[in-house]
Amino acid sequence: MLVAGIDIGAATAKAVVLKDSIISGYAIRPVGHDVKIAAHGVITEALKNTGLSITVDKLDYVLSTGYARNTIGFAHKSATEIICHAKGAHFLIPSTRFIIDMGGQDSKAIEVDSEGNCINFIMNDKCAAGTGRFLEVMANILEVESMSEMGPLALQSDEPCIISSTCTVFAETEIVVLRAQGKDRKDLIAGVHRASASRVHSMATGLRCVPDAVFTGGVAKNTGVKKYLEEEFGINFLVPPEPQIIGALGAALIAQTHTANISRD
Amino acid sequence: MKGYYDDLFRLCGFEDEEINSERSRIKATLEKLELGPEDMERADAWVREYHDISLAGVRKLLGAWLKELIDLVLAKEEGKKIVYFGFPAILGPGLMLSASSKDVFVSAPDMVLDHTMGQIFNKLTPILEAGEANGLPPGHAMCSLWQAKVGGVAKGIIPVPDFALASSYYCDMGSKADDLVTALYGTPIAYIDGIMDSKWGEFPGFLPDRVEYLGAQINQALKMGEEALGIKIAPDAWEISRESSRPFRDNLVRLVDLMKADPVPVSIVELELLEALSGSSTGRGIREGVKAMDILVKELDKRVRAGVGVTEKGAPRVMVRLGHTSDPRVTRVIEDAGLAVPLTFILGSFGGVRVEPKGAYNTPGEIIANYEMTGGYYHGTDAQIQFYEKATQIMNLDGFIAQYLYNCRPVATISHAQRRYLEEKTGLPVLSLEIDNFDSRTHSADSLRTKVETFAEMLRARKRSASQIDFI
Repeated sequence: MLVAGIDIGAATAKAVVLKDSIISGYAIRPVGHDVKIAAHGVITEALKNTGLSITVDKLDYVLSTGYARNTIGFAHKSATEIICHAKGAHFLIPSTRFIIDMGGQDSKAIEVDSEGNCINFIMNDKCAAGTGRFLEVMANILEVESMSEMGPLALQSDEPCIISSTCTVFAETEIVVLRAQGKDRKDLIAGVHRASASRVHSMATGLRCVPDAVFTGGVAKNTGVKKYLEEEFGINFLVPPEPQIIGALGAALIAQTHTANISRD
Repeated sequence: MKGYYDDLFRLCGFEDEEINSERSRIKATLEKLELGPEDMERADAWVREYHDISLAGVRKLLGAWLKELIDLVLAKEEGKKIVYFGFPAILGPGLMLSASSKDVFVSAPDMVLDHTMGQIFNKLTPILEAGEANGLPPGHAMCSLWQAKVGGVAKGIIPVPDFALASSYYCDMGSKADDLVTALYGTPIAYIDGIMDSKWGEFPGFLPDRVEYLGAQINQALKMGEEALGIKIAPDAWEISRESSRPFRDNLVRLVDLMKADPVPVSIVELELLEALSGSSTGRGIREGVKAMDILVKELDKRVRAGVGVTEKGAPRVMVRLGHTSDPRVTRVIEDAGLAVPLTFILGSFGGVRVEPKGAYNTPGEIIANYEMTGGYYHGTDAQIQFYEKATQIMNLDGFIAQYLYNCRPVATISHAQRRYLEEKTGLPVLSLEIDNFDSRTHSADSLRTKVETFAEMLRARKRSASQIDFI
C-alpha cells in the first residue's frame, strides 16, 4: 500500500510517501508563487526519492494539509496541520505528549494523547513573533546567511540581550537600537532566540506542557531556539531527524488509515 | 415602474406593495448610500450564497434590517429627532424615548450598517475606512463597530444625532466613540456609568445599591433626553415598550427551544440577525422582526418535526459568544467544519438562561436597572460562566468557542480566565478564538479555518470515544 501526505505551508512544501507504514521517500521545497506547481513538484520529487517508478495517480491515497490543503487537486482528503503534526510526532516518538511546532508563518502548541490524537491546542494569532518569519527578519538585519545558522551563534552567547517587544516590527527596531549601542552580535542573536521562545511559552499558557515534548517544524532545526524553549518551559524537547516533514508524515499516516478503512469496507 | 433594486428587496422579504409604497424612500436611501444596479446584482448573489433564503422568515428578517436602514438614513430629512445608542446597550432608556414620541428615532446605527451594508451588500469597508480617517485610525486598536458609526456619520450616509445615550455598561470604548461624535458634531450626550464589576460568586444575587446607582444614572439620562429632544417621557413608556417587545422576546424563547433539536434547524448566521435586531432597533426594525420571527418559528418547527437541519445529526454542538455582525462567511466557517451552533450568549440570555428580576422599584431608571442586572453581562466573568454552565445543560453542548479580540477589553481581558474556568466547570473543551466580530478585514474566514477545523476534529474524536465507552 502506497500513500502520501503533502503539507503546503507558508514557506515550504513537504511531501512524504509511506509504503506499508515505512517512510519510503520525502521531499522539501520552497512554495514559491504558485501552490499548485509547488504541490506537484514536491510530490513528484518525493516519489522519485522512493526509488520506485510510480506517478502520483498510482498512489492509493493522498491527504493534504497546511494552508493550501483545500486547493490540492490530486489529494483525496485534507486535514489540518495540527492534527497531522500530532499524528506524525507520535508515530516517530510514541511517548509524545506535547508538541511545539514552529513553521514559517505560525506556531502551535499541541497536547497529544497516547494514541497521537490532538486533545488541546493553541495557535498563534495575528502575530509573527515566535515564527520562522520573525527569525528570518532578524537574520536579515544581523547579516546571518540563514535562520538555521543563527542557532549555533546564539549558543555562543553568555549574555543574551533583552528584546522586550513581542512584535516583529518593534523587535527589529529594538535590534537596530541595541546594535547602535555596540552590543555584541552573538548576544543580539541570542536575545532574538530567547524572545521568540518566550513568545511561544506565553502562548502555550494553559496547556499541559509535559514530557515527552517534541519540537517540530522548520524552526526546530535551529539549535538556539531549542535551547531557549527548554529554558522557558523547563523541560527537554526532542527533535525528530527531519522535523520539517512531521506534518506531511502525519498526513500520510492518516491517508493510510483511510486506505485501511476503504479496504475493510 | 420597476426599479433596479426591486429583485433584491423582494429577495429580502419585501412584498410588491411595500416596494411600491416605499419606492421614493428606497431610491433616496440607495442614492445616499451610493448603491447602484451593480451593487444590487452583487448583493443578490451574496445573499443567496450566505443566507438561508429557502426560509421566508430569514428573507423577512433581512427585510426588517433594510427597513431599519431606510428609516435611519432618512430620519433627519423626514423631520425626526435622532438618538443613537451603542451596542450592547442598556436598551430601556432608548425604548422609552422611542415610545414617548413618534417624532423620535432611536437606534444603534453601527449595527444597522453592519447588518445591511455588511451582511446584505458586502460593502462595509469604505464606511470603516471613513471612521479610520475621522478619529479612529487603523493600527490604534479601535473597535470597528465604533468605526462604522463614526464613518457613517462622517460620510454623511447616516445623520448626525440630536442626542447620544452613551454607556460603558459593557464597553468603555463605546462611550469614548460617542465622545468623538460629540466633539465633531456637538451632539448632546448622556453618560450612563457602568457598574459591571461584581464579587466572584455574587450572581445571581446582587446588591440593591447597584440597582439604585444605575437607576439614578438612567433617570438622569432620561431627563437629559427630554431636554435635548424637547419631549416629555410618558409615565407608562416603560410598560408600553416592554409590552411592544414582548412578542419578540417570547419568540426568541421559542426559537431557543427549537435549537435544542438535533440536527439544529437553522444556521446561527440567521439567528444572529435576530438577536442583534433585538439590541439595535426600537422602531420599525423590531416590529418587522416580530413578524419575521412568527414565520421563522413555524418554518423551523416544521424542520424540527421532519428532522431537517443545517448540520449532520449527531454533530458536535458548540456555543459561541456572538455571531459575526457584518460578514456571514466568518460564522459559516464553524458550521462548514461540521459543528452545530445551537446558541449564542445573547440568545441564551433570552431563552431560559436569564434569571427573573427580584425586588420592587418605582422609578423607570431603577426598574430598567433591576431588569438589566438579571443578565450575566452585568456581572463580569463569574456570571458569564454561570450562563455558559446553564447553557451546557439546556443545549447538550460538547464545547465552546469563546471569541475575543485583542483590542476588545471586555472579552480579551477575560479570555484566559474564562477558558480555564469553563473547562474546569463543564469539563468541555474551549476554543479561545481571536476574531473581530464586526470586521473581517484582518480576521477573515480563511484565517480562522485551521483552528476551527482542528477543534471540530477534537470534538468529533471525543464524541466517538464517549460513545464507545457508553457501548462498553
